[in-house]
Amino acid sequence: MTAIERALYELNEIDGYAAGQSFMHSLDPRSKALVTTLYIIAVLSFRLDSLSGILFMWIFPILFSALGGISYNRVFLKSLYVLPLILFIGMFNPVMNREPMLQAGSITVSRGWVEFISIVLRGLLAVQASLILVMTTGFQKICYGLERIGMPAIFTTQLLMVYRYLSVLLQEAASMDNARRSRGYGKRSYSPRLWGIFIGQLLIRTVARAERIHRAMLSRGFDGTVALRTRLHWTMTDTLFLIISTALFTATRLTDFSYLFNMIISRQ
Amino acid sequence: MESQYSHCPATGMQAFAYAIRRIRPTAGNQSPAQSVLVKILTIDIQLDDMHMADALVSPAVAGVAGAVAVGLLAVAAKKVKSDMSDNMVPLMGVMGAFIFAAQMINFTIPGTGSSGHIVGGILLGAVLGPWAAFLTLTSVLVVQCLIFADGGLMALGCNIINMAALSTLVAYPLIYKPIAGHGDRSWRITAGAVTASVISLELGALCVTAETEMSGVTALPWKEFLTLMCSIHLFIGLGEGLATAAVLYFVKSYKPDLLAANRAAGTASANSSYKKAAWIFMGTAMLLGLLFTWIASSYPDGLEWSIASIIGDADLPTVKGAVQDALGGVQASTSVLPDYGSTWSGVIGCAIVVTMVWILAGLLVRRKTAVKKL
Repeated sequence: MTAIERALYELNEIDGYAAGQSFMHSLDPRSKALVTTLYIIAVLSFRLDSLSGILFMWIFPILFSALGGISYNRVFLKSLYVLPLILFIGMFNPVMNREPMLQAGSITVSRGWVEFISIVLRGLLAVQASLILVMTTGFQKICYGLERIGMPAIFTTQLLMVYRYLSVLLQEAASMDNARRSRGYGKRSYSPRLWGIFIGQLLIRTVARAERIHRAMLSRGFDGTVALRTRLHWTMTDTLFLIISTALFTATRLTDFSYLFNMIISRQ
Repeated sequence: MESQYSHCPATGMQAFAYAIRRIRPTAGNQSPAQSVLVKILTIDIQLDDMHMADALVSPAVAGVAGAVAVGLLAVAAKKVKSDMSDNMVPLMGVMGAFIFAAQMINFTIPGTGSSGHIVGGILLGAVLGPWAAFLTLTSVLVVQCLIFADGGLMALGCNIINMAALSTLVAYPLIYKPIAGHGDRSWRITAGAVTASVISLELGALCVTAETEMSGVTALPWKEFLTLMCSIHLFIGLGEGLATAAVLYFVKSYKPDLLAANRAAGTASANSSYKKAAWIFMGTAMLLGLLFTWIASSYPDGLEWSIASIIGDADLPTVKGAVQDALGGVQASTSVLPDYGSTWSGVIGCAIVVTMVWILAGLLVRRKTAVKKL
């Protein structure tokens, strides 16, 4: 599968998930976006070396994907794409911070490694949260939500247009790429000059397409502004969802888990 | 929608292999120094250049960057709305999708054996103009973040600044446009695209470093991180610049009316006072950057250290010698004030900087008027 085909597949997959029906799907996009943001802030606000708290935060993506009727494994695997960059930046911490921090029997874990695991976890959890938001809401509804909270209409229209034509342009690029590869005698990549011609062709086709779309829009009464039919309803469930989630995140953020588990172990 | 893709098996192993493939450097018969370079280049380029992840920013940094990005978006929306024709709505939308597709197709970076793709800020700027290009590139970043988990939701503000704002609002109007002019000569297009791409990516690298360091996530010290990022992005910038130039050259020969510089030739002087201020600001920033480089080059240990730590081998005699010699040579030839200790040299240094800014500003203003007359 080429990168373009994978992108098309993922686009299709997200749309498929967003069309589902569940508790999470029935919530207002604004409440979900708010809860997602709060969750990510809570995860990122942990100290770099407090591993137990961040680990505990892992339960929420699992919980929310279950509420949304999505397989958490899929969310987890999709979130792995973010790993390369995080590994690239995070790998310096074990090199730099070598003082011992955790002692388990004869195995000593240095501060750097604890921080490294913490960075990786943060990255995965944050991405999983936003993935669940999109998979249970769909891109269009997020745009409607954005417009309702005051994002300029021109930008939300732009987002919707990009999303609408993403699959069209990707398919066009994929067919051009297929044509080139099938005549490329095994050459996988493009030289910069060839690439310029290829992308230039695609650009010219794109602009021609934009002209056709513009004419089609004009013939349907387009007067420079795109009216969105946004019907979003904030219900009591949304308020409750927001309050309960915030309370849970705050409680997790404030709990000292190592102290808690030490207490539990020492009582037994 | 695409029924042919809905049946693709996407097993766990496939996704994992895909993730691994993105960090696998291209193998080949290369010298040690070359393979280090390839390693760095491949890792970073396959990382989609520099989409910041949520794990690398603290809530405070994300909040500030987000506020700046929202402010820029508001200004851009106002600007674009006030001077756009109604065919811009579909054009911007489809161009966003185009940039996304273009980013999916890699080109070979000559001499390294690795491949990369463009971010496309300069290209978008050349077709749409700076503010519309900013909106378009930002929308692409939002789609990448939400649908493809490229860069995080919290880090979106950082990414908008690093990748969209710096290339479309700084590098395109202040560097590409003055150099490329009306885009009637191919060498000017190439020079403009390469310079603008390198500068926008270097500025982006600087911002990535600043944001990560201010978030307190990485244990890597400022200087080493910055040296590493800037040296990587120099090569990425060159690649991006050459690729952008190749596309622009093609468009210029087949459909020259597509380029914004040709369309908006008559209306360019509308906000010249703003541009003048921006030029002067930019010139100062570049001078400060040069000064910084000059000072930093007195301590070339950073680069060696970062390369050594990446490959886990501190023994790089050839690279070490070459880098040190080269930097030493540059330093010796550019050192005006070798003894930098006394108060006087500080005063003289500042005076020189002010004079240079003055001259640069004068040159730029004259340049601007010359362009206007054309």
